[in-house]
Amino acid sequence: RALGYSPASLVPCRIMPVRWNRYNPSYLEPEVKKESYQKPLEELTEEEREHMELKAVRPIKAAPPSLSSSVFSDPMISKFTNMMMKSGNKVLARSLMSQTLEAIKRKQLEKYHKAPENEKETIECNPYVIFHQALKNCQPIIGLSNITKGGKTYQVPVPLTDNRKRFLAMKWLITECRENKHRRTLMPDKLSQELLLAFKNEGPVIKKKHVLHKMAEANRAYAHFRWW
Amino acid sequence: MTLRLICTTAAVQRKNVGASGPEKYTEAFIKKQIEEFNLGKRHLANMMGEDPETFTQEDIDRAIAYLFPSGLFDKQARPLMKHPTEIFPEQRKIQWGEDGRPFHFLFYTGKQSYYSLMHETYEKLLSVQKHQDQLIAQDLPLQKDKRKNIYDILNRNLAGSRWLTKIELEEMLLEKVSDDDYSRFIKLLQKLVALPCADIEEEYIQKFSKEVPVQLQKVDIEPLQHDERGVAFSTGEGKRKTARATAVVYDNGTGKITVNGVDILHYFPVLQDREQLLFPFQFLGRIGKHDMVCTVSGGGRSAQAGAIRLASAKALRSFVTEKEVEFMRQAGLLTVDPRVKERKKPGQEGPRRKFTWKKR
Repeated sequence: RALGYSPASLVPCRIMPVRWNRYNPSYLEPEVKKESYQKPLEELTEEEREHMELKAVRPIKAAPPSLSSSVFSDPMISKFTNMMMKSGNKVLARSLMSQTLEAIKRKQLEKYHKAPENEKETIECNPYVIFHQALKNCQPIIGLSNITKGGKTYQVPVPLTDNRKRFLAMKWLITECRENKHRRTLMPDKLSQELLLAFKNEGPVIKKKHVLHKMAEANRAYAHFRWW
Repeated sequence: MTLRLICTTAAVQRKNVGASGPEKYTEAFIKKQIEEFNLGKRHLANMMGEDPETFTQEDIDRAIAYLFPSGLFDKQARPLMKHPTEIFPEQRKIQWGEDGRPFHFLFYTGKQSYYSLMHETYEKLLSVQKHQDQLIAQDLPLQKDKRKNIYDILNRNLAGSRWLTKIELEEMLLEKVSDDDYSRFIKLLQKLVALPCADIEEEYIQKFSKEVPVQLQKVDIEPLQHDERGVAFSTGEGKRKTARATAVVYDNGTGKITVNGVDILHYFPVLQDREQLLFPFQFLGRIGKHDMVCTVSGGGRSAQAGAIRLASAKALRSFVTEKEVEFMRQAGLLTVDPRVKERKKPGQEGPRRKFTWKKR
């Protein structure tokens, strides 16, 4: 029941944090990036100006330990690391993530050095760019939801929010890597392989996304069951 | 001999069913209570030997506490003497006349005050739009003083004021308002305020907005101290969960950080903790310029890192301009993290986890 003013359109890819209610509801989220504080006043849009005014008066929550202003901390990567984590073992999850990024970089560099001169520019070597693009390629556009009407449960196509799309993409990647791999392959190798395939729009995760889209297309007739 | 009414209208014979429910106080009753209260106030003032004309509510409370001392724990159970309007809650008077016809034309909607309020607000909106159209037709600028209008609107929605809460609206309308109705009303008000010519209806809008006192406290920044060698330093304290830390930040340093006499590379083998320690310095762009010596105790690995981060951020305030202190606050570096371990509850295995449900 958010009756207050929530400018969700400010930062395009802001991940909604999951927090407890230890804070008073009047506390606002912290803005960690240095660049947003160095922008001159004229470049800001109306909404951003209002947000700045609001921030000057309201108290702000403490920054969580996984966020920092360094170039290396990425909210998307931290979210993915948290989802990979088991029983609170953040050290292991973080090391797996860094090993994955390293593996991606190694594979791409191998390809880069083997490729002929004219193709060298097309090969992307930055593992962060590959990760973001792969996640974006895995995100479904439309989802299915179970609606019971007249005793029967139908799968109804339903629009998804940004958060839900991101969550589904990450969840599919992680389950794919945990289940469909050989006993001896390690997680970083399998994950880097999946990310590179997803970057090129191939691979089992993209297939799963297409299957979901096809199901939604097939159940188009029930779209009017949705009431929200 | 009594006269019996034979041919009467149904309205006269009908009992006032709508009046039943929570006991309704008639106007005469309330008036009598007010008279008795005022009389009692003067008597009390006389008894206490004070001037009856200038006897305030606080004086009444003191007098009652003196004359009827009560050792009861619950403050609301002690004897009290207040103005009848505070004791008897404001209620709706009966909404229909003797013949049974309701006074208000929206009575049969069930929520007459809410719908009449929505109608009024929408009328204001339409009038503002009409005014706007007139100005456009005459080719006049829509806002005389553009700056003033923006800040007015800003003040309305942000720092200075807030809209009425649902409970306050219910008190104003004297009837129940559902959440959906309340949100619809607020959206309509916001739509009205967003129009450029909304200045016309200022007073009407001000009825529904309240001032919010600015919640932030002014924190004093301590001046820099100097040690024997002439190097400037400042101290700060921080805490997180059960960890307590003190940090001393020296100027003209090389970026060396020592925790409990040990280098951070040895004390915090995990990369995340070292990132947290360097966070305030990296944010201000002063990584190689300061030395830090800290002591920390209690908590776990991550809690100690968070405590030192807060301590160093507080210490760095003395080295830095006020604007940068404000930036640090907005980045969340200067707030104490209130999250602590939640207690275990009886009947459950942990703070949230319940015992395994067994069917039999």
